[in-house]
Amino acid sequence: MGFVRLIVFGLIGMTAAYFMISIYSRSVRREKLENRWAEKNPDSEDMTARAIYVQEGLAEYEAGFRPKLILLVYIVPTVMVVMIHILTTYY
Amino acid sequence: MQKIKTWFYVFLFVVVGSFLHYVLPQHDIVRVTSTDVIRTDFTSLNRLFYAQADSGTAELQTRDLRLINTEKRKTFLLGFIQRESTKVMVYRNEDTGWIWPPYFKFDSSDLQAQAAANISTTDSPQWVVMTHYGWRIKYLSIYPNAIGVRPVDGPDVTVIPWFNIFFFIFLLVGWAFLRAMWRQFRQRTIDPTLEDMSESIGELGDSVSEKRGRIRRWLDTWRSK
Repeated sequence: MGFVRLIVFGLIGMTAAYFMISIYSRSVRREKLENRWAEKNPDSEDMTARAIYVQEGLAEYEAGFRPKLILLVYIVPTVMVVMIHILTTYY
Repeated sequence: MQKIKTWFYVFLFVVVGSFLHYVLPQHDIVRVTSTDVIRTDFTSLNRLFYAQADSGTAELQTRDLRLINTEKRKTFLLGFIQRESTKVMVYRNEDTGWIWPPYFKFDSSDLQAQAAANISTTDSPQWVVMTHYGWRIKYLSIYPNAIGVRPVDGPDVTVIPWFNIFFFIFLLVGWAFLRAMWRQFRQRTIDPTLEDMSESIGELGDSVSEKRGRIRRWLDTWRSK
């Protein structure tokens, strides 16, 4: 019973963390893209071009390896639990 | 106001500090003198300080509790400085199972056997490092829970608390990360929304902007100064 509870609450916690970090990481990336646009086109008022630039940058980010790193949020705690369990129970 | 704030932080520090002091692993240098099993009837006062029945067995009102009786080297400063003198210390030995605190310990019987194997006399002492968490409070009859026993050559060993070091580093990193997340959320989501709101309802009159000002001021109290 305790094991089921650990898994359920662990999954809830890790999923919440996963979504929060995903949103944060995307937001930071978007800000960076906006700043880069402002640097490249200091006096451009063309909001459509800016939106397209940001969209493309975000699509590139989504397709890349970095967002997949956020999956570590699931892997690291699981490995920690297994490690602590093995260390306390078998050593 | 400033005074209340200070006291609130002191209170928070004491609560969080005691909690971590209770839950995090600590190492004692002890000499095991005997092991014991006593029957225990928990009360609502001290129930909180005990784990549950052994993994895979039923939880009843009353049950046996494994104890490890030791003579422990006294320490200063949360165990960082060793002293020459000793005092008696009793540890309980319970499974924490899959639940709290997260030690995932299932081997209390084996640990009891291991402790018994290291029983020694004052004449030829066998010192061991006892990893444990928890407190000994005599008024409530609660004991620290033993997690592991490791025989050592002498009483003057230095134990580096690797787990706690990594734990506190992780805590600091996590705190900084959460702060950065909150700031980003504020700057990119809350502030623009408030600005939009004020732009679209700006014509409705001063009472609205007054209200918005209040929300703004409330939010500003979250901003670090």
